[in-house]
Amino acid sequence: MGERARQALPSVLSVLLALVLCWIAIAMTRDVDTATRAYLQMFWGGVGNWPAFLDGGPVSALTRPLGEAAMKAALLTLTGLSVAVAFKVGLFNIGAQGQMILGALAAAVVGAQLNVPAVLHIPAALAAAALAGGTWSGIAAALRIRRGVHEVISTIMLNWVAVSLVDNWLVIGPLKAVAQGQQSSITGTAEILSSAQLPRLLGDLSRLNLGFPLALAAAVGVDLWLKRLRVGFETRAVGLGPEAARTAGVPVAWRTGQAMVLAGAMAGLAGAVLVLGTEGRYPGTLGAPYGFDGIAIALIGNNNPLGLTVAALVFGVLRAGGTRMQLLGVHKSFPELIQGLALLFVAGRLIWLAVLRRRTRPSVAPAAPVVEVPRA
Amino acid sequence: MQRRFLVLALAALACACSKKKEEPSSGPAPTPAATAQAAEKAPNAVGLVIDVGGRGDHSFNDAALRGLELWASGKRYEGGRYVDASAQELRESISSDLASIAPSLKPLAVKPLVLQSKAQEDYAPNLQLLVEQGAQLTIGNGYMLANAVRDVATENPKSLFLLIDSQVLDAQGKARQLPNVRTILFKEQEGSFLVGALAGLVTKTGKVGFVGGIEVPLIKRFETGYRAGVMTTNPKAAATLMGVYTGSFNSVAAGKQVAQDLIAKGADVVFHAAGADGLGVIQAVKEARAAGKSVYAIGVDSDQSHLAPEAILTSMVKHTDLAVYQASRDLLDGKLVAGEQVLGLKESGVGMADVRVDFPGKAEALQKVEALRQRIVAGQLSVPGTQAELASFQAATP
Repeated sequence: MGERARQALPSVLSVLLALVLCWIAIAMTRDVDTATRAYLQMFWGGVGNWPAFLDGGPVSALTRPLGEAAMKAALLTLTGLSVAVAFKVGLFNIGAQGQMILGALAAAVVGAQLNVPAVLHIPAALAAAALAGGTWSGIAAALRIRRGVHEVISTIMLNWVAVSLVDNWLVIGPLKAVAQGQQSSITGTAEILSSAQLPRLLGDLSRLNLGFPLALAAAVGVDLWLKRLRVGFETRAVGLGPEAARTAGVPVAWRTGQAMVLAGAMAGLAGAVLVLGTEGRYPGTLGAPYGFDGIAIALIGNNNPLGLTVAALVFGVLRAGGTRMQLLGVHKSFPELIQGLALLFVAGRLIWLAVLRRRTRPSVAPAAPVVEVPRA
Repeated sequence: MQRRFLVLALAALACACSKKKEEPSSGPAPTPAATAQAAEKAPNAVGLVIDVGGRGDHSFNDAALRGLELWASGKRYEGGRYVDASAQELRESISSDLASIAPSLKPLAVKPLVLQSKAQEDYAPNLQLLVEQGAQLTIGNGYMLANAVRDVATENPKSLFLLIDSQVLDAQGKARQLPNVRTILFKEQEGSFLVGALAGLVTKTGKVGFVGGIEVPLIKRFETGYRAGVMTTNPKAAATLMGVYTGSFNSVAAGKQVAQDLIAKGADVVFHAAGADGLGVIQAVKEARAAGKSVYAIGVDSDQSHLAPEAILTSMVKHTDLAVYQASRDLLDGKLVAGEQVLGLKESGVGMADVRVDFPGKAEALQKVEALRQRIVAGQLSVPGTQAELASFQAATP
C-alpha cells in the first residue's frame, strides 16, 4: 500500500462509517426500505438521475444534479483550501466564514458598480473578493505576528465583526438595493450586471458555472505552491517548527502573514463564486456556513489540497442530493450529520492508523508511527 | 500539533453546530410520506418550497404549511409521514375570522410535496426538483424566493407557480408578469391597523412599541398600518410610538434585546413583524410579566397565542394559509390564472386573531375595533401602507 493511499484510507473509512451509521439511524427511525430509497435519492440527486435519463428522460436529469453538486463542491473546496493553507503554516483559521462574507460583499459591489466588459469584469470582481478576504485574514495575521494574539480567538471574533459590519449595517444601509416598485421588497445589495455573472458552462441545462473549474484550479495551484515552490516549502517548514525554520533562515513572520492572507483570499473567492455564480447579489444574510464546513472538509481531506478537493466533491454530492431525502420524509439535516460524523471519525485518525497497521503490516517497526502521523 | 488542531476544530464545529440549533427551524423532518414514485404519478401534486426559517416557526412558514397540508389535503405531518387529520383538528386550525368563509374550507384531492430550504442558493433547485417530481402547482413562500420563482417559472413555462409576498421582479427590481405565475401580496397595513387600534385602547402607560425585522417595504406596511391604528384610538400614544428594526428575521436574541429596551422605556404593548426575532420579543414580554410588569405582545402572521397565552394580546394574522388553499382549489377546478392578487381585510387575507386575555374595558375596546374593521371592509376607511400615505392620513385625522 502506497504512502498516499495509507494517508487517505482513514478519511475514506470515516466517510463510509458515517454513511453506514446514518443509514442505520434512518432505518431505525423509519424502516430499512425508506433508508435505502433515501440514500438512492441522495445519490441520484448528486451524480445525476441516471435511471430517469436511461428511461428516456431529458439530459437535464443528469446535468442539473451534477451542476448543483459541483456548485457546492466548489464552495467547499475554496473554504477548505482556506483552512488548509493556514494549517500548513501552523495556524488555525476559523475565520473562513467572515472572510467569505467580506469576499462575497466585495464581489457583489464590484459586480454591480463597475461597468466594463465581462473579460475584465469577472477577474476584477474575483480579485476584489480575494483582496477583501485576504485583508480580513490579514488583520488576524498582523495581530498574531505583532502582538501574539492567538489566531483562533481573533478569527472567531472577526467572524462576528464581519457579520455585524456587512449583514447588520452595509447590506441594510449604504449598500442596500433600491426597490423600484413601492410594494416590492428586495433584500441585499443591487443585482450584479450580467457582465459579472460567471458564465454557465452548460447553458440552461444546469447551474454549473465557471466557479467549479476555478475552484479546481485553485486547489491545483495551492498544491503546486506548497510542494514545488520554495516559498511553499518554507511555509510548510514554519508550520512544522517555527524555531527550526527561523534558525534555517526562513522569514517566519513574513511566511505566516503570506499564508494567512492567501487563506483569506481563498475564502473570499468562495464568497465571490456564490455571488457571481448563483445568487447575483449579496443576499440579506449569508446563511449557509460554508466557512465552517471548510474546517471539516480540510480535516477530512487531511489538509492536502487535492485530498480536500476529493472530500469537497463527495460532500458536494451528498449536500446537493440530500434535499431529495425530504421527498421521503427524511429530515433535512442528514447530509450535515454525515459530514459531522465523518469529521468525528477522522479525528480518531490515530486509532484508524493503529487498527490498519495491526491488520496490514503486523511486523512494522515501532518507530513507524512518527512517519505516519499526518503533519499539520 | 495535529492533535491540538483537531481539538480546536471540534470545539469550533461544536460552536457552529449549536448555533444552528438555536434557529427556530429545528422542527421535525420534512415532507410527504409520499414515496417518490407515487409523487411522480400523483395527479394533483402541489409543491411548496419554504424558506430557511423552516418548519415550526409558529408564524409565516407554518401558515403556508397549514394551508397546504392540513386544509388542502386534510393531512397532518407527523414524524416524516402524513396521517389523516380529524375533522376537529381541521376546525380548530381555522382561525375565527375565517370561520364563516364561503365556500368553506374542505379537504381537496391534493398531494403535498414540501421541501425545506437550507440556504438561499437552494431555492431555485428545490423549486425545480418539485416541478420534476410532478407538481402541477409549485409555491414559493416568501419574497426571498422571488428571483428563484422567476427563473424556474421561465424555464418551465408549462408548470404553474404561486409566489407569496412579492411580485415577479426583473433584474432592475421592476415588477413584471409571467404567464404562469400568480403572485399574492397582502394588505398587511389593514390587519396591523386593527391591532394598532386595540393597542391604543389597551395601553396604560400611553406608550406602545413596534419591532420590525429587515426594513423593507413589506415590513414598513406593518408599521404604518399599526401607527395609523394607534393614531385613531390614542393620538397621544401615536406621537410617542417607538418603532425599531432588528435587521434580521432569524435572531431571537436581537428581538429580545430590542423588546427589553422598549419595555424599559415604558412601552406596555409591543407589536412585532420580525419572524424569529419576534419570538424573542414574546420572550422579553413574558419575562417582564414574570417580573410584575403589565405588558403585552402582539403576534404576527399566525395566531401566536399558544406561545405565551398570558402575554399575547392578539395576533395580526396574515392568511398565507388561505392563499395557498385557494390556489390549490383553483388548480383542481382548472381556474388557476396567473396575475397579481392583493388580499386585504375584505378578502380575508389579513385579520385580527381572537383576543384571549382579559383586561378592563375589553368588550368596549373590541366593539370599537370591530366598528373600524367594518369601515375598512366597506371601503370607508383607507389604511396607509407607506410613509407618504401615513403623513396624509395623519393630516386628515383630527
